[in-house]
Amino acid sequence: MVRGGEIGIGTCLLINGTPHIVVEREFVNPGKGSAFARVKAKNLKNGNVITQTIKTADFVEDAQVDLVDCQYQYNDGEFFHFMNNETFDQFEVPVAAHEDRAPYLKEGETYTIVMWEGEPIDIKIPYKMVFTVVESENYVRGDTVSGATKPVTTETGLVVRVPLFIKQGEKILVNTESNEYVERVNE
Amino acid sequence: MLQARSRMVTITREFFLSRNYLETDTPALAPSLIPESCLEVFETEYVHPTRGRMPLYLVPSPEIWMKKVIAATGRSVFQLCKSWRNAESVSHIHNPEFTMLEYYGVGLSSTDNIHVTEELFAALATDETPLQAQPPFRVMSMKEAWHEFAHADLDALAEPEAMREACRERSLLVPNDAPWEDAFNILFLSIVEPALPQDRPLVLNEYPAGIECLARDIPGTMYKERWELYVSGIEIANCFTEMASPEAVRAYFASQSEKKRQALVPHAIDDSYASIFEHFPPCSGVAVGFDRLLMVLLGKRSLAEVMLFPFEFQGFTQKPSAR
Repeated sequence: MVRGGEIGIGTCLLINGTPHIVVEREFVNPGKGSAFARVKAKNLKNGNVITQTIKTADFVEDAQVDLVDCQYQYNDGEFFHFMNNETFDQFEVPVAAHEDRAPYLKEGETYTIVMWEGEPIDIKIPYKMVFTVVESENYVRGDTVSGATKPVTTETGLVVRVPLFIKQGEKILVNTESNEYVERVNE
Repeated sequence: MLQARSRMVTITREFFLSRNYLETDTPALAPSLIPESCLEVFETEYVHPTRGRMPLYLVPSPEIWMKKVIAATGRSVFQLCKSWRNAESVSHIHNPEFTMLEYYGVGLSSTDNIHVTEELFAALATDETPLQAQPPFRVMSMKEAWHEFAHADLDALAEPEAMREACRERSLLVPNDAPWEDAFNILFLSIVEPALPQDRPLVLNEYPAGIECLARDIPGTMYKERWELYVSGIEIANCFTEMASPEAVRAYFASQSEKKRQALVPHAIDDSYASIFEHFPPCSGVAVGFDRLLMVLLGKRSLAEVMLFPFEFQGFTQKPSAR
């Protein structure tokens, strides 16, 4: 069980028997009323986002989850395919419920998978990741407006705004929460 | 911002003085308060040089003092002052210390105060004020809002189990022993409040009597003469036609004192309060979060943008205590 006041982004709640991950949380104090946590939570089976309001002093059921390191292999359009790094077991995660994760999945990279009752229910994306620029528009040399940026596309299909000096084939570090460019990575 | 804030304080004063309201300047430190179970307060103490110590509390609003002035003078009053609320999360719309604007119109009802507040908005609006914060206000009753946005008949949900069932029907988590007020808030905050129209300021009128407060009941209904003003989805003001029966006030005190036992910061209760209603004129009061008002009128998104020195965390010295 988890207290309403302790729910944060990433908390896994069991709502009507289905695990939901909290994606937004705000505290609200309705006039002349107690404090509540208003949360938006994503159904980890079908991807639907719902709103729930929980009194900060009340308890709600949370989902007991395990975190397992797994290597991402490929996407066949219907499923993401992963392999457990310890047991080498292979398993699938439905794309439909986690479409927003697709631009962050790199073949051969290790991700933490959230398991609930033996089933994979979420893919945790590292806060910062390195990507390779595969598509970059040309820009006019001499365009030196301070802070000017251009959109580029990574090998995973993610679109990021980067400074003009970034070229095709170069590697960049990206904040995966805001999709903001952090720095160029030299190897 | 400094100039805009200063200008709005001046306009607010002129607005009420020109309408013959008396400006009051009541104490910030009080030895006892009215019991409001939804609020936590700041506690301090007076240290006598030789005789000992006496607990004092920073007022969460100047309401009690202002009502004593109304009872003694029969005059309409207003006040701009600092108020303090403890144990609320600090956010873009919460600061533990904030400026409160309260105005009480003798002979007015909560409906009359909708117009006073609209005129105040008109006086304060600037070129920067977005359309969503400009008068005229949209007025909608709580019953209408529930009908429109939750497709529910609030009148039919007067019993706790009916309200809890309405939550369950909408797949909302609700404890099986949740009091009516909690179940009401769970449905209201999850479904109704997020859907309230934001194109203009919204007066959400006639709150259910199931939410205890010092507003007058509307005879023959389950509602009270109380409204809240929302601008861009943010609560800006709260208004009552003041409850003026000493018996009703005493009953409210008894119930709230009971709930107040679970408070993180307990405080002494002002027993003299109910007696001021032995001779109290009909009256309606509005409490406005003045910083929030400035924020929406100036088209800002955070209190920090309109406060000179917003609250800053300096690190915690103790673990949280269980409530």
